[in-house]
Amino acid sequence: MSTTRLQEVLICFGKQKQTDIATANTGAEMWRFGKLNAALANPKLNTENDAEEFGKGHEFPTQSFQTSWDVSGTLEKYLGAEIAAWAMAFGLGKVVKSGTTPNFTYTCTPLMPASGDAAELPYFSFVEQIRPGAGVVLDRMAVGCVVEGWTISIGSGPGRANSKITIEFAGSGKVIEPSAITMPAATVEKLLPSASLALTINGVNYVSNKNIVSLETGWKNNVRMDAGFYPGSGFQTAGDATSGAIRGRLEFGNRQGTLRFTARFESGSTELAKLRNQSTGTAVLSLTYDANNSLEITWQKVSFATAEVGETDGIVTVAVECLPMYDAANGIVSAVAKCGADNICQ
Amino acid sequence: MSEGNTVWLRPPWGEGEPQEFDAKPEVLVPHMVAGWSQCEPPASREVVTEDVHD
Repeated sequence: MSTTRLQEVLICFGKQKQTDIATANTGAEMWRFGKLNAALANPKLNTENDAEEFGKGHEFPTQSFQTSWDVSGTLEKYLGAEIAAWAMAFGLGKVVKSGTTPNFTYTCTPLMPASGDAAELPYFSFVEQIRPGAGVVLDRMAVGCVVEGWTISIGSGPGRANSKITIEFAGSGKVIEPSAITMPAATVEKLLPSASLALTINGVNYVSNKNIVSLETGWKNNVRMDAGFYPGSGFQTAGDATSGAIRGRLEFGNRQGTLRFTARFESGSTELAKLRNQSTGTAVLSLTYDANNSLEITWQKVSFATAEVGETDGIVTVAVECLPMYDAANGIVSAVAKCGADNICQ
Repeated sequence: MSEGNTVWLRPPWGEGEPQEFDAKPEVLVPHMVAGWSQCEPPASREVVTEDVHD
């Protein structure tokens, strides 16, 4: 008997955005990546039954009903220029593309409904396959997915694991099985290693003073999942009211940015004073493969929310939690992602 | 979308004419936050090729 091992799983997803939540990406609009985590994006069918209804003469269920569908998943990857650009574009939602091959530049900011932007995030399709074709084990496509959030973790040490990105996504619930997608060739990735970090926070260059130990930054859209089900939002099988409801929109909720870091603490370190003074400044971090492949994230205005002196491997360090704030001119965060891939989120 | 290293953005709420901007973060980010969005260059700027059969 043939055993199916998870190393066989292939994933691809929309490099380009869908035209709307219900229209799946085509194969030509997708790209393929490897990943580090084993978890699959399992579609979940929610059911109800009639156990609590009166008129049956007993308390037991006699019928069950398909009510709605959920899809969610997580991608863990070593941070590369291509996936970084994708996560920034789909995660923040607003993108301006410039440049030409091999240096496309994606300038990304969060959508601002108060300035006329949509509250719906850009949609993509997500495909998982294991032995597609005659001996298929798994072949499905979740349509209408959005990036719920991303987290970039930078650590100290020599390996690739010291620069990682975790991307959470959620879907409308629409699933096409089999996907009918021919898996594209694997994307050649340009890794953005920890050793390439440049980091200035609140006026301090933590790389030139050799004090940075680790850093984590992230964005969360807090997507209003239940609000996606509205009267008329549709069904898994169009026109079949028994097939379970799917979402007709995925809007972000109250979004949150995070930035925390640990640095060596020594005579002259300013973190505690800045906490007391509530000093504000920008936080700019960048990671670089080469001139054409990089990521720069700018938190436009941060103060220190907490700063605690402790230790890391016997060295005195300070762990700082920053409070990203909204700057009147530049907003809360922007990302400039460079890579050789065209049409990301276009 | 761009000529050289410029991009075209349309104003917030779709009011007004698209404008061309340098594709620099310090230029783009404040406009994006203010509601400007990327768009195609205006049709009047497209290159018109003369009929080569004349």
